Amino acid sequence: MNVSLFAGAILNGLVTGMLYALMGVGLSLILGLLNIPNFAHGVLYAIGAYVMVSTVKTFGFLAGVLAALVAVAVLGAGIEAFGVRRLSRVHPDYILLLTFGLSLILTEAIILVWGPVGITSQPPSLLAGGVDLGVTVYPKYRLAVMIVTAALVAACYLFVTRTRYGAIIRAGIEDKDMAAALGINIRRVFTLTFATGAGLAAFGGALMAPVRGLQPTMGLDILPFAFVVVVLGGLGSLPGAILAGLLVGVVQSLMTAIWPPGADASVFALMTLGIIARPQGLLGHR
Amino acid sequence: MIRPLVRLLLLVAAIVLLPLLVRPVVAAEIWIFSIAAMALNLIFGYTGMLSFGQATFFGLAAYTSGLMMIHWHAPLLAVLAAGTLVGVVAAAAIGYVCIQRVGTYFIMLTFGFNQMFYFIAYKWTSVTGGDDGLPGIPRPPFAIGPLAVRLDSSLRYYVFVAAIFLLTFYAMKRIVDSPLGVIFQSIRENPGRAAAVGYDVKRYKWLAFTIAGGFTGLAGVLYSMMFGIVPLEAISWIISGDIVFMVLIGGIGNLYGPLLGAAAFKWLSEAVSVVWERWPLILGVALVLVVLFLRGGLVEALTRLREAFGGMPPRREPREGAPVGVTAETEATS
Repeated sequence: MNVSLFAGAILNGLVTGMLYALMGVGLSLILGLLNIPNFAHGVLYAIGAYVMVSTVKTFGFLAGVLAALVAVAVLGAGIEAFGVRRLSRVHPDYILLLTFGLSLILTEAIILVWGPVGITSQPPSLLAGGVDLGVTVYPKYRLAVMIVTAALVAACYLFVTRTRYGAIIRAGIEDKDMAAALGINIRRVFTLTFATGAGLAAFGGALMAPVRGLQPTMGLDILPFAFVVVVLGGLGSLPGAILAGLLVGVVQSLMTAIWPPGADASVFALMTLGIIARPQGLLGHR
Repeated sequence: MIRPLVRLLLLVAAIVLLPLLVRPVVAAEIWIFSIAAMALNLIFGYTGMLSFGQATFFGLAAYTSGLMMIHWHAPLLAVLAAGTLVGVVAAAAIGYVCIQRVGTYFIMLTFGFNQMFYFIAYKWTSVTGGDDGLPGIPRPPFAIGPLAVRLDSSLRYYVFVAAIFLLTFYAMKRIVDSPLGVIFQSIRENPGRAAAVGYDVKRYKWLAFTIAGGFTGLAGVLYSMMFGIVPLEAISWIISGDIVFMVLIGGIGNLYGPLLGAAAFKWLSEAVSVVWERWPLILGVALVLVVLFLRGGLVEALTRLREAFGGMPPRREPREGAPVGVTAETEATS
C-alpha cells in the first residue's frame, strides 16, 4: 500500500471515528443516566440525515443541519417524556425494548416518507473539491466534517466536565437518588440529556449524508458500531467514548484498505479483545 | 392455574389444529420459532440475561446445515445434530465472553457479536451467498436404518417439525423443573444470594447460555430446510429482535408464554404482510404498547381475562416493578 492510499485511509478513519465519537458521547450519557442502551440512537441519526436533505434545498446547508439537530432533539425529548419516563419504576430491560420498538417504527416511517430507495446528497458548493495535503489529495468537505465534529465533541466534553449543568449530569450518573435528594430536578436532566444525545446523533447524520449517502437502514447499520464504542470506551466515560470512537474508525478504515471483507468484523474482534483485557472499558472505572 | 395435564392436551390440540387454521408452512414456522423463543426464555425469563444476539446461533446453524446438505448431501439427522452442535459451540465461546459482564453490557455484547457474524456472512459471498442468501437446500428424507419417510410436502414437513418441537418442549420442561432450573431462577432473582449460597453464578449462566445456543441452533436447521434457502436475515439482528419480541409478547418466565408469543407473532406477520408491506411498523407499535401497558404479555392478558370472568384469582407473578432480568448485580456493577 502506498503512502497516499495509507494517508487517505487514516483520514477516512478519523472522519468516521469522529462520527462514532459523537454518537458514542450521546449514547454514553444516556446509558450513564438511564442505564439503557438506546436502540433508537441509530434511527435518530438516520432521521437527522433525512431532515437535512429535505430542508437543504429551500434553506441552504447550514440551516438544514441545524433543522436536523433541533427536530430530532425535540423528538428525543418527546421519547423521553412520553415513553421512557413512564417506565422509570420498572426494570430497565423494558426501556430497552421500548427503544427497540421505536427504532422499528421510525425506520418504517422513514421508508413511508422518503421511500425505500437510497438517495444521495451533495456537499455545499463552498466545500466542493479537494485540497492537497502533501501526501494525498483529500476532499475539503470531509476535512470540514472532521474539524466540526471534533470541535463539537470537545465542546461536549468541556460542557460535562467544566460547567455547572455538566456537574449535575455527572451527579445524576453517579447517583440519581442522591442528586434528586439534593433538590435537583433529575427528571428534567434526563429529558435534556436524551434530547441532547438525539440531537448530536442527528447532527452527525446530517453531516455524513453527503459522504455516505442515505438509506432507510443507515441507522441500523451504524448502531452496532456506536455500541462497540461505548462498550470499548467504558460506561459513562466521555474521553473513553472519544478514544474508542477514533480507534474503531481508524481500524475499520485501515482494514477496508487492506482486506475489505474483514473490515467490519475486525471492529468486533477489537471489542472482544478489549472486553477481555479491560472489562470496565478503556477509560472506564466501573 | 390450569392443571398441567389440561395444558398439555391444549398444546397437543394446538399442534393438530394449527395447520387447519393457517398454511402448513406458517404453522411449521410457528413451532420452529417456538423452539428459539423457548431457548431465549431459558436465559432471559429463567436466568435473567436478556440476549439480543440469538440470531448468531440460529443463523450459524442454518448456514452450517445448508452448506452440509448442498455440498455433501448430508442426511437429515446428521444436519440436525451438526446444527445443534454448532449452536452449542458458538454459544459456549461467545457466552464465555458475554457473561463476564451483566445487564446493559451483556445485552450490547450479545448484539455486537451478532453483528460481527452478520457482517461476515454478508461479505463472505462465496460461501453464504451474501445478500442473496444461500439457495438450493434440499430437504432430505427422515431415515433411520431401512425406514425412510419423505418430507417433501409442507404438511409432512409440518408433522416432522411438530414432532421435533414436542421433543424439545419436553426437554425444556425437564430442564426448567430440575434442580438446575431452580438454580437458574435463583440467579435471576438474586445473583448475589445465589453466589452466597455457594453456586458458581458465572458457570451456571454460561451453562444456560450454552444450552440455549443448542436449542436455537436446532431451530436454525429446521428453518434452513423449510424454504430451501438461508436468507441473510437469518443471522441478522432482525431475527434476534423477533425472538426477543416473541418472548416478550408471550410472557416471560413460564414455558407456554414463548409458544403463544411465537404463534401470535408469526400469525400476525403473515396476516399483515399480505395486506401491507410495511408490517414492521405495526410490530413496532405493538411492541411499544405491550411494553407500556401489558408487560406480562399474552399470558397476563389471559389471566386478566379469566379474572374478569370470575375465574380463580391469579397469582400475581409478574408484579409491577418486579424485575424480569438481572437486578441486584446490574445495579451493583453499573
